[in-house]
Amino acid sequence: MSKSQHDRTHHAKIATGIGDPQCFKGQAGTPKFKEGDRVRIKDLPDIFYTRTMTYTRGAVGTVAKLVYESPPAEDEAWDNTDKSEWFYSVVFKQKELWPEYADLYANDSLETEFSERWLEKA
Amino acid sequence: MSDHDHTHSHKPAPMVDEVSDFEILEMAVRELAIEKGLFSADDHRRWTEYVHTLGPLPAARLVAKAWLDPEYKKLCVADGVEASKAVGVNWVTSPPTQFGTPSDYCNLRVLEDTPKVKHVVVCTLCSCYPRPILGQSPEWYRTPNYRRRLVRWPRQVLAEFGLQLSPDVEIRVGDSNQKTRYIVMPVRPEGTEGWTEDQLAEIVTRDCLIGVAVPKPGVTSNAKRPVRKAIHPVHHDHDH
Repeated sequence: MSKSQHDRTHHAKIATGIGDPQCFKGQAGTPKFKEGDRVRIKDLPDIFYTRTMTYTRGAVGTVAKLVYESPPAEDEAWDNTDKSEWFYSVVFKQKELWPEYADLYANDSLETEFSERWLEKA
Repeated sequence: MSDHDHTHSHKPAPMVDEVSDFEILEMAVRELAIEKGLFSADDHRRWTEYVHTLGPLPAARLVAKAWLDPEYKKLCVADGVEASKAVGVNWVTSPPTQFGTPSDYCNLRVLEDTPKVKHVVVCTLCSCYPRPILGQSPEWYRTPNYRRRLVRWPRQVLAEFGLQLSPDVEIRVGDSNQKTRYIVMPVRPEGTEGWTEDQLAEIVTRDCLIGVAVPKPGVTSNAKRPVRKAIHPVHHDHDH
């Protein structure tokens, strides 16, 4: 994405009348994971920008839903929309995220989203 | 320290409003964007005007409709964006951009509570919020305090809001850190049997839709507050 004349209205052009993330539908190919899969969140480097929270790194959760296709935030932050990925909503037990979480509330959980590059089979 | 210690003359304080660094940054970027022709000053004004028309009423209406109509409830859970159209919100074309809002995107999930699961929503990144259907977020929703503590100590934070939940209820925190925005569909409370959609919508307040409160018959955001008489009332001359 090193274009000398970068079109800053590029996003508006692809999303008008369609919406975002709807405008990226069908661009991510076959999803690697499915509902119910156990996944671990990778601890990848994030030098410039990320939306993958530190508290989820290394944790194991369950895919609750395939939510949409979109360029990952790490690319989109630089307006690089060339390659979309599947996004997954993953549910974690709170105890998995915070080891000191009270055993009395072992059922408590947290749900949040990741693009495919952040997930590996657990 | 006494006011009389210093010798320089007293100057009146300059008549300026305090502006934060981020507000200055926003103005600078906005003016550059207008100069570059990305949008016009009128576009910006129109956008601001649109944003100020938004509030939580469409989301309250969505929940009330879903409580009354099981088919509509299924649609809400399956496709929040499609379900929003029934309450007058088109996530794509309602905003003046015609492609949704630049930071809220067009993906709404309605998180359905059950007697055994209570959802509550946060954006740990900063302030993602389903604005097209819920309006502007309350100030506390954007504070680092709420954001960092809700994910880690949800029961304690909910207790501070006055919501104490039994240990056998699962609390599920939704962290909207990507393109999905969430609203919570609480359980319809007892004591609302036979109510109309209008009556039900009244008790689904903003906080119930974020998940830090549950709806209760008689508790609405527009309820009349009790008026206390002043102990030492002011007497106006024109009263005599």
